[in-house]
Amino acid sequence: MGPELQAHVAFHLTGKRMGASLQAADGLHLRPGLLARFGDLTRLRYDFPLVLVAGRADETGIQSLTALVNGILQAIAPRGIEGEATRRHVLRLEREIRTLAANGDTGPLSRLWDLAAERIGAPGDPALAGSLGRARAALKVDGEVVDCTYGLPTRLITHAWRALQQQKAERFDREITRLIVKLSDILQADFVRSGAGTSAARLKASVGTGMEDAFDFQALSSTLAQVSGKDPLPDSRRQRVERALTVLKAHRSRGQAGGGRADDLESGAFASCRDAQSAFRTRLPEIVDVVKAIAIAELEIEGLYVEATHDPFFADFDESSVGAKDLGLFPDYLVCIGSEHLHGPEHAILMEILASEMPIKIVVQVSDVLEEPALRAGHRGFIAPAAQLGRMAMGLGNVYVLQASSSHLYQARRGILAGLTFAGPALFSVFSGSPHGARTLPPYLLAAAAMQSRAFPAFTYDPAAGPEWAARVALDGNPQPEADWPVHEFGYEDEARQNVTEPVAFTFVDFIACDPRYARHFAVVPQAEWNGSMVPVGSSLTGAPAVAGKVPYLQMVNGDHALQRALVDEKLLSAAQRCREMWHSLQELGGIHSSQAERLLARERKGWEEQKQREIEALKREAKPAAPAAASAAAAAKSAAVEAAEPEQPSDDPYIETPRCTTCNECTNLNNRMFAYDANKQAIIADINAGTYRELVEAAETCQVSIIHPGKPRNPNEPGIADLLKRAEPFL
Amino acid sequence: MTTRAHECLMRMYEEEHNLEEYQGSIPRWCTGCGDNAILTAVQRLCRDEKLRPEKTVFVSGIGCSSRFPHYMKTYGFHGIHGRALPIAEGIRLARPDLHVFVNTGDGDCCSIGAAHWVHAIRYNMNLTVMVHDNHIYGLTKMQASPTTPKGLRSKTTPRGAWLDALNPLTVTLGIQNVSFVAQAVDWIPELVYDIISRAFHHKGCSFVRIIQRCPEFLPNLFDPWLHDPNRTLLLTHEKGLHVSPALGKLYKNQQEYDPTDLNRAREIASVEDPIPVGILYHNPEVPCYEDVRAITQLRTPEFIQRGLETELDKFTVWPQAAD
Repeated sequence: MGPELQAHVAFHLTGKRMGASLQAADGLHLRPGLLARFGDLTRLRYDFPLVLVAGRADETGIQSLTALVNGILQAIAPRGIEGEATRRHVLRLEREIRTLAANGDTGPLSRLWDLAAERIGAPGDPALAGSLGRARAALKVDGEVVDCTYGLPTRLITHAWRALQQQKAERFDREITRLIVKLSDILQADFVRSGAGTSAARLKASVGTGMEDAFDFQALSSTLAQVSGKDPLPDSRRQRVERALTVLKAHRSRGQAGGGRADDLESGAFASCRDAQSAFRTRLPEIVDVVKAIAIAELEIEGLYVEATHDPFFADFDESSVGAKDLGLFPDYLVCIGSEHLHGPEHAILMEILASEMPIKIVVQVSDVLEEPALRAGHRGFIAPAAQLGRMAMGLGNVYVLQASSSHLYQARRGILAGLTFAGPALFSVFSGSPHGARTLPPYLLAAAAMQSRAFPAFTYDPAAGPEWAARVALDGNPQPEADWPVHEFGYEDEARQNVTEPVAFTFVDFIACDPRYARHFAVVPQAEWNGSMVPVGSSLTGAPAVAGKVPYLQMVNGDHALQRALVDEKLLSAAQRCREMWHSLQELGGIHSSQAERLLARERKGWEEQKQREIEALKREAKPAAPAAASAAAAAKSAAVEAAEPEQPSDDPYIETPRCTTCNECTNLNNRMFAYDANKQAIIADINAGTYRELVEAAETCQVSIIHPGKPRNPNEPGIADLLKRAEPFL
Repeated sequence: MTTRAHECLMRMYEEEHNLEEYQGSIPRWCTGCGDNAILTAVQRLCRDEKLRPEKTVFVSGIGCSSRFPHYMKTYGFHGIHGRALPIAEGIRLARPDLHVFVNTGDGDCCSIGAAHWVHAIRYNMNLTVMVHDNHIYGLTKMQASPTTPKGLRSKTTPRGAWLDALNPLTVTLGIQNVSFVAQAVDWIPELVYDIISRAFHHKGCSFVRIIQRCPEFLPNLFDPWLHDPNRTLLLTHEKGLHVSPALGKLYKNQQEYDPTDLNRAREIASVEDPIPVGILYHNPEVPCYEDVRAITQLRTPEFIQRGLETELDKFTVWPQAAD
């Protein structure tokens, strides 16, 4: 082993640079080679920025600028060369809006649109102005433009939550109003049937003054008094209806007193779990009262309230009677909290909420996925505990969990809406990076890198999707979810200026390489020392025999876009392996490479193959004598079939083919003690001793569908038996 | 809107009714009348589906079959001749919480009520319509109905009916928005029940023609079919009818038939011998009129008052305007 290779191996094993050839990665502004292409995101057409359309509680409330522009171009730009100028103009505008958003310019799309149009010179260019004018006319939505920044998760999920809460509040208000109207109808119906309701004065007042002389209200009152029901509403029912009405009206008044709604909704948004839990507990007694009133109202409206059954139930109606479905009727609470604040009691309350049925949705904005392993702190992995919150919550069972990077939020909008509408607690664990960390990559790239590298994979756990985990866990959005690491084509120019393309895996090590805090785990190898004993990290992680003993390196580029090889120390490699194990466990939950299923499949396959082999061998052994045996088996089968096909022997006992009875009453009219109907109102012989053989024969003769079979006479001495037997023959 | 408490209490309330509890007054149909088989099948359905009597309504027009509501211990509306369907539609609109059944006859539906029949199919409101087709006016003592076979002598056609009989199935299958058409014969009660059950579960206007015997005026009309099971064609399909092994033993003339094929349904409906029995057509995708025109606005007293005042104001002569 030469001194250079010795230095490489030493760095890999110890993380110490020995010798002068290896260069520290600090300050070189290196980034993983696969990210080299993504220098200026404003030149890229991708999901961001987003447009948050107010008042829409579905997926259209979160739209991508790119998708919006695509829609506009499809509407206004003709296919082919004719629409080329329009497309160019509108795409210029889109890029300018993207630049504005990336520079922190915020506001409604309409404002940024005008600003961008001005900046690209639309006022002085009639053709450009014309294209943009048509595009603007085709733009049907407006809303806040947001880029993929550190604050995106809170902003986007709060936006969706607000729209859903608004919709829910309006729906609930309508339902409460319906119940109030229906309950009022019960009281009103009782009143109009009462003496007061049918009094002459009341009738006169209801007709109005215009035609009052045409009526004799006294006579009308007397007539109505005679035909109206005599039973007024019982006092207990009246009081129950009035109590429910009072509660529902008070609740509706409180809701309507919220007036502007938006302010009212904001009262459900919190910055700490403790505050949200406290607010929920304060409101709980009111919720219990309203749920009880709704349940009573529904029963009363249906006319199903039975005092003997229901009074005891409602007498003990308390918090324990209210379930997640009931809580789902009321506005939810939203907590947006940074992972750095989840310590001590706050973390305990968060877990308490997630383990309960409280309608609290929690957004945990994970600012840092990585953490330098510290034995003193009790962990040796690089993945911070905050990044594992989603997995922990999934273990609680009845909580909706969505984990994603902020770069993936647009793709995950359906999952976000599902979580916000889930009847119970929900956790949205979103990695967005930290505004205070070292800024080597824009937030979008950093977040995307976390997901690509499996450091922060995306998944949803939806308890409402079904009882099995296979239905509940989804790994949608992860690149190449069946692979350990996603593999992408990496292209560069070699020393001879020839284009080279090779598949490169984006691993956990690549993600760590994006973070300058961990630069000491890398050492740059001068190009002169590149040799065959070095192996890419992706290959090294496969553990294949061919890579044993080789030193792993990562392809990176510096600020001048020059390709570099950085050696990786063993700690990082171990961390990557641990990350891969965690990814494997997630894959299994999501139904990918399930070790249990694969084991069972292998066992079944083996059993099946052995069985087939035995059958083949048996057939071979019996090949010669098989022919006569098969013939005799076939003959036996045929004989059995003939026997089965033969009609049943006529019975000596009388019987009825009851399922074919058409309930025509012929037989029961003849003798309703001998013949009767069963539970399906079809004829049976109820008591054979209750009639004569003659009646049996007559019933058989009159039966429209000929299903009565009189059998043989029980009394051979019955008068006229010979004639009866002859008449019975067709029905035996 | 339901609460957990409401659901629990509804389960507590869940009632089991036996068949007798759906029986109203004693039927006055003739002994041997096929209407009895239909009545039994419907009463079994009500029991098996646990239909609450106060949430169930039977609507009829005029004729033997239209006495049906009297024999059910549910709500009923014995309407006027030919108008069972519009009455049922009105009930459906006003009370979407009710199960609405219609019992009508070949005269009530296909003659005086023909216009309503056509539009009821087109409106496709959620109704279970049973046409008791005995091929004759029985209540008025044997006059020819639209489905009376050509040549049959009756009080109004003493030299035999002059025209080919109207086929209610082919007519129904030709109407826009048709969504469910089936045919049963009263002498196979198992299938009468199954078909009505399928019709009940279809959301839309389920049109079931039930060929039935009139023992009083046409006692022998269906004898050839009664005595020869091969003259009945059972249409079976995973999406249609399932024939029990016992019945299959007797009725061997069966055909696997997909009830989603409208053109094939029209072909089969045209056949009169053998009589096709089963689901001829089923399309659950056809929208119901009550859904298309669903009013989401809650009709509160204030809403009604506002609407009335708006309308009445159109006819108000304001003093200033008069000047």
